[in-house]
Amino acid sequence: MFALLGIAGILTGLAGSIWLVIAAVRATGVGEAAGLRRPVQTILGGAVLAMLALEAALLADDFSLEYVANHHARATPFPFNFATGWAALEGSIVLWGLILAVYTWVTFKSVSRTARNEGDRLGVAALAVMGLVAVFFFGLQATVANPFQVCVEAAANGCLDASPFPWAAAQAPPDGPGPNPLLQNHILMAIHPPMLYLGFIGLTVPFAYAISALAIKEAGVEWLRRSRRSTLVAWTFLTAGIVLGAWWAYEVLSWGGYWGWDPVENASLMPWLVATAFLHSALVQMRRGALQAWNFVLVIGAFSLTILGTFLTRSGVIGSVHSFTQSAIGPVLLGFLFLVVAGSFWLFSTRSHLVADSPRLDSLVSREGSFLLNNLLLTIFAFVVLTGTLYPLVIEAITGDRVSVGRPFFVRMIVPLAFALLLAMGVGPQTPWREADPGRVAASLRVPIQVALAAGVLTVLFASRIGYVVGAVVAGTFVIASGVSLLIGRASRAARARATGPSGSVGREIRRQLTAEPSFWAGQLSHAGVALVAIGIGFTANLAQHGEVAMEPGDHIEFAGYNLHYRSPFLLTEPNRRVQGATIEVSVDGEVVTELRPRANFYGGDTAGISTPAVHTAFTGDLYLTLLNIDATGILLRMDTSPGIWLLWVGGLIAAGGGAWSLTARRRALVTAGV
Amino acid sequence: MPSRKLIWPALALVAAAVMVLIATNLGNSLTYYLTPQEAVDRRTEFPDGQRFRLGGLVVVGSLTESGGVKTFDVTDGAETIQVQLTGAVPPLFAEDVGVVVEGAWSGSRFEADTALVRHDESYEAPATTQAS
Repeated sequence: MFALLGIAGILTGLAGSIWLVIAAVRATGVGEAAGLRRPVQTILGGAVLAMLALEAALLADDFSLEYVANHHARATPFPFNFATGWAALEGSIVLWGLILAVYTWVTFKSVSRTARNEGDRLGVAALAVMGLVAVFFFGLQATVANPFQVCVEAAANGCLDASPFPWAAAQAPPDGPGPNPLLQNHILMAIHPPMLYLGFIGLTVPFAYAISALAIKEAGVEWLRRSRRSTLVAWTFLTAGIVLGAWWAYEVLSWGGYWGWDPVENASLMPWLVATAFLHSALVQMRRGALQAWNFVLVIGAFSLTILGTFLTRSGVIGSVHSFTQSAIGPVLLGFLFLVVAGSFWLFSTRSHLVADSPRLDSLVSREGSFLLNNLLLTIFAFVVLTGTLYPLVIEAITGDRVSVGRPFFVRMIVPLAFALLLAMGVGPQTPWREADPGRVAASLRVPIQVALAAGVLTVLFASRIGYVVGAVVAGTFVIASGVSLLIGRASRAARARATGPSGSVGREIRRQLTAEPSFWAGQLSHAGVALVAIGIGFTANLAQHGEVAMEPGDHIEFAGYNLHYRSPFLLTEPNRRVQGATIEVSVDGEVVTELRPRANFYGGDTAGISTPAVHTAFTGDLYLTLLNIDATGILLRMDTSPGIWLLWVGGLIAAGGGAWSLTARRRALVTAGV
Repeated sequence: MPSRKLIWPALALVAAAVMVLIATNLGNSLTYYLTPQEAVDRRTEFPDGQRFRLGGLVVVGSLTESGGVKTFDVTDGAETIQVQLTGAVPPLFAEDVGVVVEGAWSGSRFEADTALVRHDESYEAPATTQAS
C-alpha cells in the first residue's frame, strides 16, 4: 500500500511540475499568477504524499519495499528510523523533491502578492524555471531513483531484486540490515542533512530568477534584488548545514578532526563560497550598477555547483567515507548538469546585449573595490576546491589510476587565501562607497589594529608562539574589532550630533544604528562569526595534542594536563547494537571533572565495530577519547585535545545567525511599512 | 580607477599565477591508491620508498604484534601482501576488516605508517558493487 501511495505521490508531483511549466509559460505574457496556484499545490501535495509514504513504510517496518528492506532494520530506534527516509540515495531525492516543492510554494506566495497589482512577469517566468527543475527531480524519482520499488526476491537480511511496479508480487524479507552504522550513531544525522538540503535546494530560487530575467529580457535590478534575498535564505541554511556537518564528523568519525577535504564536504563548500561572493557582488550592482554580467555568472554557477555536488556524492563516482550511495543515477545527473550549464550560458550569450556595460568605478580604494577583491578571493577559493575535487576523476578517466589529492594541497592553497579574506573583511566595511580617502581609512583602522596586535601579544604570552596561531588570532580579532569600532564610532558620532544627554546615549544610539541598517550589521555579525571560525581553526590545526596508550582497569595516565583513570570496562546490549566501552575518570589537579565513556558499537552481525569517541568540553578546548581496541585484559586508547574547537561551532552558528537576522529584520521592516 | 585596459591583463596574470600554483601543488600532493593485485603488477612503477595507498581485507589469522609494530596480510582475493604497520592503529582495527594503509614497498613487504578502517559492509571496488 505504501508503494502505491508513494508512486501516486511522485507521479502527482511530476504531473504538477509539468502543469506548472505549461501554465507559467502561458501566463508569462501578462504576469498573472492566479492560475499557478493549482499546479503549485499539486506539486506540494504530491511531494508531501511521497515523503509521508516513505516515512510511514519505514516506521511500519514494511520490508516489502526494496528501500526499506535494504536500509532499515526492525531494531533501528527513533529518530534514526525516521532519518533513514533521507539517509540513502532514493530517499534523499524524495526529500529533495519535498523541499523543492516547499520553495516553489513560498516563491509562488510572494509572486502572487506582487502580481496582484500590475502583474509579475519576472516571478511567473521564474516559477516556470522552478517547474522545470521539479520535472527533473520528480522524473528521477519516477525512473532511476524510485524509492518505492517492490522487493520481489527477498534474502534473509535485505532484498536481492526489485520491481518498479507497485502491483508486483512482493516478497518481504523478515528484517533488513539497517542504515549505514555511521548514520545511526548521532542525533545530528537527523538534523544536518535537511539543513544542507534547505541550503542546496534554496539556490534554485535565485537561479530561477536569473534565468527568468534573461528569458523575458528584463535584465534590470529587480531579478537581482529577489535573487539576493533568496540566496540569503539558502546561504543561512547552508552555513548552518556545513557547520552541523563538521560537528557531526567530529562527534562520530572518531579521528579527532572535523574536515577532511572529502568530496562530500567540498561539495557543500563550493556553492557556499560562490553564494557568499554573490551576496557581496549583488550589492555592488545595486549601489553602483557594476558587475551585471558577473552576477548572472555567480548565480548560475552556485546552482550548477549544487548539481555537481549532488552528482559527485550521489553517483558513487568518488569513493569516500560517505560511500553509502552508489547507483545508476550518475549519468542522468551528469546530463542534467550539462543541460543546466550549457543551457544557461547559451541563454546568457544570446541576451548579452541586455546586460549594460559596467559604469566606470571611481576608485579601487572603495567599498566596491573591496567587494571586487572579496569576489576575486572567493572565486579563486572555490576554483581551488573544485580542482582538488575533480582532479582525481580526470586522472582516473585518462589513465585509470585511482589517486587522491591530499590535505596538504588544500591547506597550502587555502590558508593564504583565508588570511587575505580576513584582512578584506576587516578593511572593507570601513571603506566608503565610490572613493575612499586612504588616510581616513587608515585612521579608522588604527584602533582595530591596536586591539588585534594586543590580542596577538596576549596569545604569544599565554597560548602559543606558532605563527599560524598568532596570525589567526590577530586577523580574526582585527575583523571583530573593526566591526565593533565601526558601530561604536557611528553611534557616538550620532550621539554627539543629537547632543542628547551624556549618559546612556551611546547605548541608545547603538540600538538605533542596529535597527536602522539591520542588514549591514547582520553582515558584520556574520563576519565576526567567520572570524571566530578562523581563530578556532588556527588553534585546533596547530595546538592539538595526540597520544596513544594501552591501559588495564585501575591504570592512571597523565595527558595534556589531565589525569585519566581507567576504572572499568562496560558492556551494553541495545536493540540495534552491542556496545563495548570503557569508563574513564578524568581529573584536573586532583579533582574529578568528568567521567568519559568512549565506546565501540557493533551493529547487526558486523564484525567491524564503529568507534564512538567521548568528548569533554571545556573553555580551553576539548578532551577527545577514542577506543582503538578493547578486549578482556585492557584497552588501547587514543587521546586528542582540540583547543578552542568550540569557537568553530559557535562562530559558524553566529555566521548563520547573521543571515537569519538580516532576513527577519527586513521582513519586520516590510510589515511595519505596510507592504 | 586605473585604466580599464589594465584590468583584464591584471586578471589574466592573477589567473595564470593561480593555475601555476594549483598545478605545482597538485603534483606534489597526489597519492595513488592500489589494490594488492595492482600493487604486485605495477611493482616496477613503485620502487621501494615510493608512497602509495594499499586497500584490501585483513586476512584472518595473519595479525601479529611485537613492540608496537603490527604485521598482517592484506588481500583482494587475487593477491596477498604482507604489511608492517608502525603508525597509529585506526579505531577497532581487526582481522577480516577492510583497511587502507599508506606507505611504500620494502622488498616484498609493504611498510605502512598510517591506516584507515573502511566501513563499507562489502569491500568491493565501485564497479563490482554497481553491477550487483
